[in-house]
Amino acid sequence: MAPPLAPSPPPSPPWADRLAPRRWLGPVVLLGPAGLWLLLLLVLPTLLILEISLVPGLRLGQPSGGYGLGNYLQILQPIYLRVMGRSLVFALGSTLLCLVLGFPVAYWLALMSPKRWRNLLLVGFILPLWTSSLLRAYAWITILRPSGVVNTLLTALGLPTQNWLNTSTAVFIGLAYSFLPYMVLILYASLEKLDTRLLEAAADLGATPRQGFWKITVPQTMPGIAAGCLLVFIASLGDFVVPTLLGGASSMNISRLIYNQFLGPTRAWGFGSALSMVLIFAVSLAIALLLRYGDRSTVTEAS
Amino acid sequence: MSGMRRLNAFSYPRPALSRRRFIQGSAAVMAGLAAANCRQNLSGPPSGGGNDGTLHIYTWANYTDDGLSQAFTEKTGIPVVVDIFDSNESMLTKMQAGGGGAYSIIYPSDYMVSEMTELNLLTELDQSRITGLENLKAKWVNPAYDPNNAHSIPFCWGTTGLVYNRKASPGAPVDWDFLWENQAALARRVTLIDDMRETLGATLKSLGYSYNTNNPAEIEAAYKWLLELRPAIAAFKTTGFESELLGGDLSVSMAYSSDAIALALEDDNLEYIIPASGSSLWTDTLAIPATAPNVEAAYQWMNFILDPEVARAAVERLLFATANQAAFDRLPPDIQNNKGLYPPEEVLVKSEGIVAVDEVSTALFDKFWTQVTSA
Repeated sequence: MAPPLAPSPPPSPPWADRLAPRRWLGPVVLLGPAGLWLLLLLVLPTLLILEISLVPGLRLGQPSGGYGLGNYLQILQPIYLRVMGRSLVFALGSTLLCLVLGFPVAYWLALMSPKRWRNLLLVGFILPLWTSSLLRAYAWITILRPSGVVNTLLTALGLPTQNWLNTSTAVFIGLAYSFLPYMVLILYASLEKLDTRLLEAAADLGATPRQGFWKITVPQTMPGIAAGCLLVFIASLGDFVVPTLLGGASSMNISRLIYNQFLGPTRAWGFGSALSMVLIFAVSLAIALLLRYGDRSTVTEAS
Repeated sequence: MSGMRRLNAFSYPRPALSRRRFIQGSAAVMAGLAAANCRQNLSGPPSGGGNDGTLHIYTWANYTDDGLSQAFTEKTGIPVVVDIFDSNESMLTKMQAGGGGAYSIIYPSDYMVSEMTELNLLTELDQSRITGLENLKAKWVNPAYDPNNAHSIPFCWGTTGLVYNRKASPGAPVDWDFLWENQAALARRVTLIDDMRETLGATLKSLGYSYNTNNPAEIEAAYKWLLELRPAIAAFKTTGFESELLGGDLSVSMAYSSDAIALALEDDNLEYIIPASGSSLWTDTLAIPATAPNVEAAYQWMNFILDPEVARAAVERLLFATANQAAFDRLPPDIQNNKGLYPPEEVLVKSEGIVAVDEVSTALFDKFWTQVTSA
């Protein structure tokens, strides 16, 4: 008769191994400070805003009533929906403009510019970011006003003058200008990693340059395009300075509406918080899309 | 076989409440607790700041400058720190939300004094500690917004009117109607003050109603009338229109007299007029908040400001209209006769101060103002 099998050593319980300091001490020390910062300055304030938004009609300095969804229902009025629609239009328009203007620049920088100058050109392009966005918006007032640079140029060329200041056009111009460097940076990073051998292979197989661009370059850089577009979209959705300074009388967007609720005469903090939660939700949706479509694994699999 | 969990005598049963569940649950509970307790602070009293001998002042831009603070520090030895706010509402929000505990002197406007008195945010002034109250102009000895100056001292006053660029305007405005009559020529060349009561009030005045009406029909008529002016409005700006007005890109701007006079003195092409049918008469005051840490220094600052010589010097430098009769008498004639700064009595009599209206009317004002600015 065969000897009985020696009992196998007891399997180490899964969680005891995880408790061993060598496993969790490293991540905690590295993530701790940032995690604490995020918790205190992002998570808790957002929860606070969420709680305030759930008290209908809450005004600063007055005793609060019970909970309810009254603030969110108040948002459904046509005037506020219009303001939010306008914010979306501003954000989408500036994203499209940044993409159309930024892609050629990034393409040239990444693939066609002399290697020696590449970094310098990149720094030169993001140099405007070193100045305050408020100052840049004021600069655009000087450029776009009826007696400004654009009109002086147009008059000198004999063309009719334009009055773009205090219209939506000025807002699109201002937003696109503010966020173009971000788009160019992200697209540059994506285009730099483009495998040009694929383009050569496509040319060898008889593709025209246009086919090569649309069938190879664009799909390969799609994660970068998605990341850049979503970043510009998120930033311009919540932008306050440019629509206020350049937009004029018909440029109320969601950020300014929130500002008016908190610092205006009505001091309707409950309603302002509800609007803030809607903005946070829209941005979170955009970030979720970014995480989904900005995934680099599709790129590595293809190569 | 090695991957299977074999339940034998040596393996631990998985606990009912696993460690991960416990951490998730307690994090959610703590977050909920923290958020729930935070709400109490919204309507609670603001916390006071520490008293370190410095006088913290919360005021409008252009009401104090370094010269004034230095003169005060030389005279009394108390250092002065000045913070600026740009609207009464943001000042009130800061005081209520707890960030104003360091300020011993604030500069609320007339209607804000009434509101803050009702909210018990101002201390009642001990008039025996204030010298110079007899210097005040007759109109401000017992003002309607603060009977007997119990909580505030009038500092300066002004009107709201139109400042226009002669070279860029289709005519010289005399009244609010100018804007509506010349709408076509003024397409996107007008700015209005970004204040609900001021702008809607000016529209009410141009229709012959009062700034402080409680009549819903009148308020709605003003709203519709203002909507008709929209094609002419470039933007709603309380300040920030100056460079465009000077450059001729704007024709007319609605402005407070304190801003407009200084601007008009810069350039001969600009002129400030008070509309003939009347405008709003506002007063900015000095007050001591209920949470002031340095009340003694606050009274010294008030006495300093009320001193005629100091007031005169401040007016000459900063060009606001003072409520101090003794200071006014010492001003040079060209400032005394400045019709914009010190309009004659027959113009003043048609102007009214903005006071709070009842709740229904406030809600109407708010709704119409949102429609006008967001459309």
